[in-house]
Amino acid sequence: MKKLWGLFLVLAVAISLSSEAMASSYILIGVQAPITGKYANEGQGIAQAVKLIVSQQNAEGGILGKKIKVIVCDDEGTAVQAAICARDLVNKGVIAVIGSYTSTSTEAAEATYYRANVLQTSDGTSDRLTKHGYWTFFRNSFPNSAEAAFTAQYLVNKKHYKRIVVLSDHSSYSNGLSNAVAKAIKKAGGTVIYRGRITSGAQNFTPVLTKIKSMNPDVIYFGGYYTDGGLIRAQQVELRIKADFVGGDSVDNPDFLKLAGKSAAGTYLINVPTPSILPYPLAKNFLKAYKARYHMMPPSIWTLLNTDGLRAILFAIKETGTTNTVKLAKYLHNLKDFPGITGPVTFLKSGERTGSVYMTYEVQENGSKKIVYKEK
Amino acid sequence: MNTFFQQLVNGLTIGGIYALIALGYTMVYGVMKLINFAHGDLVALAAYIGLTIFMKVGTSSSGLSILLIVLIGTIMIIVFAGMMLELIAYRPLRNAGAPRLSAVVSALGASMVLENGMMLLWGPNLKIFPSNILPSSTWSIGGVIISSAQFFIIVSSLVFMLLLHLFINKTKLGTAIRAAAIDQEAAQLMGINVNRVIVTIFVLGSGLAAIGGIFVGIYYREVYFNMGWLYGLNAFVAAIVGGIGNIPGAMLGGILLGVFNAFISGYVSSSWSEAFTFILLIGILIFRPTGILGERVAEKV
Repeated sequence: MKKLWGLFLVLAVAISLSSEAMASSYILIGVQAPITGKYANEGQGIAQAVKLIVSQQNAEGGILGKKIKVIVCDDEGTAVQAAICARDLVNKGVIAVIGSYTSTSTEAAEATYYRANVLQTSDGTSDRLTKHGYWTFFRNSFPNSAEAAFTAQYLVNKKHYKRIVVLSDHSSYSNGLSNAVAKAIKKAGGTVIYRGRITSGAQNFTPVLTKIKSMNPDVIYFGGYYTDGGLIRAQQVELRIKADFVGGDSVDNPDFLKLAGKSAAGTYLINVPTPSILPYPLAKNFLKAYKARYHMMPPSIWTLLNTDGLRAILFAIKETGTTNTVKLAKYLHNLKDFPGITGPVTFLKSGERTGSVYMTYEVQENGSKKIVYKEK
Repeated sequence: MNTFFQQLVNGLTIGGIYALIALGYTMVYGVMKLINFAHGDLVALAAYIGLTIFMKVGTSSSGLSILLIVLIGTIMIIVFAGMMLELIAYRPLRNAGAPRLSAVVSALGASMVLENGMMLLWGPNLKIFPSNILPSSTWSIGGVIISSAQFFIIVSSLVFMLLLHLFINKTKLGTAIRAAAIDQEAAQLMGINVNRVIVTIFVLGSGLAAIGGIFVGIYYREVYFNMGWLYGLNAFVAAIVGGIGNIPGAMLGGILLGVFNAFISGYVSSSWSEAFTFILLIGILIFRPTGILGERVAEKV
């Protein structure tokens, strides 16, 4: 028995040494994403997209003469697991991490990557992500404050709504976005007559809507998720509240249209472009390759935003000829208009991506979406 | 004033659903002194089964006949599930003379099995009922809007509650249930088959849960695997508010809780409506532990 243990130990050492040796001949890229759990399809989309881009790069002979290897860690969309993933990926020697999908698990991992000099690029929209002063962090999407500013501009200056109701649920994303929207509306000179919160998943929203009805609003803005948004809209129409309905980015989902049914027509949804309408040839090529390899479309725009984060990092490695993350970060901070799948990529010193491309869609009678207002 | 009556209609709709579900809790508690935590999950299961049957029978036509088929089919399947629940999760414990706490733990376990089973069968994403089951017309009565679905739910929950009331008070089996609720052993000595009584209350409770689940499906149209928890918890609170173990109490508690929630969201704060539900619960437990109507407890010497 003791002999067996000895043999086992020798084997274990040999394996760990060989994987160590392997690591140096590869450039390691980590993916930290929710592969299982509530956001599983988004997390799997990110991992698939990263693997696709890396295999394309490897087919061209890799980068700096080395092949790239992807290590995926499942953070289940939770903060606890995210911290474990961060440690794990750092120990395995990755130079950059793509992810995570949610702001919560992104923030939980940020400090670990910062201390280990590992680059991180995430689609999290919470404003706080870029407020820590970590030079390692790059946001590949746009912060809630950008969406809020666009929303306020649309509601107050474009549609001239006088009496605005802002609704959210209690989650940090929804509450944060809706608070930002309410603040931006006031700044733009509009009036928020009611700022309400609902319990996500409660299904019965008629009491709060009845209260809203008595206030005679011009518009109801909901900055939460499609599951609640669809029911709020359906119950709003049922109660004959003659106000427009405007939904934030997480309301924009095919299930919103199904839940709201006939009432979906005439609602406005504010979001970045959906993958299929991106005007860039790069995007069309990427979607084609993704579909050919996985026989499905990417789950959402978030997949593509993360892909752009990865592409920018690979581009920086090529241009600087190094994998030294300090030099890479310096290069990325000065990156201007890198041609991305989701539009030009430019990073500020804070790691914030500039040049948001929000737009307003109007849902048509047949359930399709038409762009009615674009950010200039 | 319109707002007041509108909130009343809102409250009565959801309250009717709560009452139907609360009856299941209260009947099981009345006879077995057990909180059947898996009861809420039967509601979610009913919504899934209803949706599945509806998809099979045909989505093209709407109307009462289709609804009737869905309702009867779902009730049959959920009643069977309820009987299985009693047979697998509770009867072996009862026969072994296990303490009541074991049965509660078993109930929690059964709830998890049902919830995760539904997730595995139908997936974690939400499912959506078609919108054409009931005609989507709404009426305005003096400014108060009531939809056909709301009207249907309020009226039929009242009808089902009336039927249950008649069954419990006018039939022989109903009398046996009342007897077993007062004293199981004495009932047994009088020649009442208590196991049969328990099966009967599971049949009745599950049937009402099935109706509640279908109502949730056709009115809110959104079904997800862990929504049973939400309805179960509210119905449980309703049963306690009305007086757990007491059948008219559960009906009253459900309707009161629905209306209470609507007025709190409407006049106080929608953010705090759930907190107020539990403040109400604590208040009732402190000042009137047996609930509004109170449990009918037989004198024990």
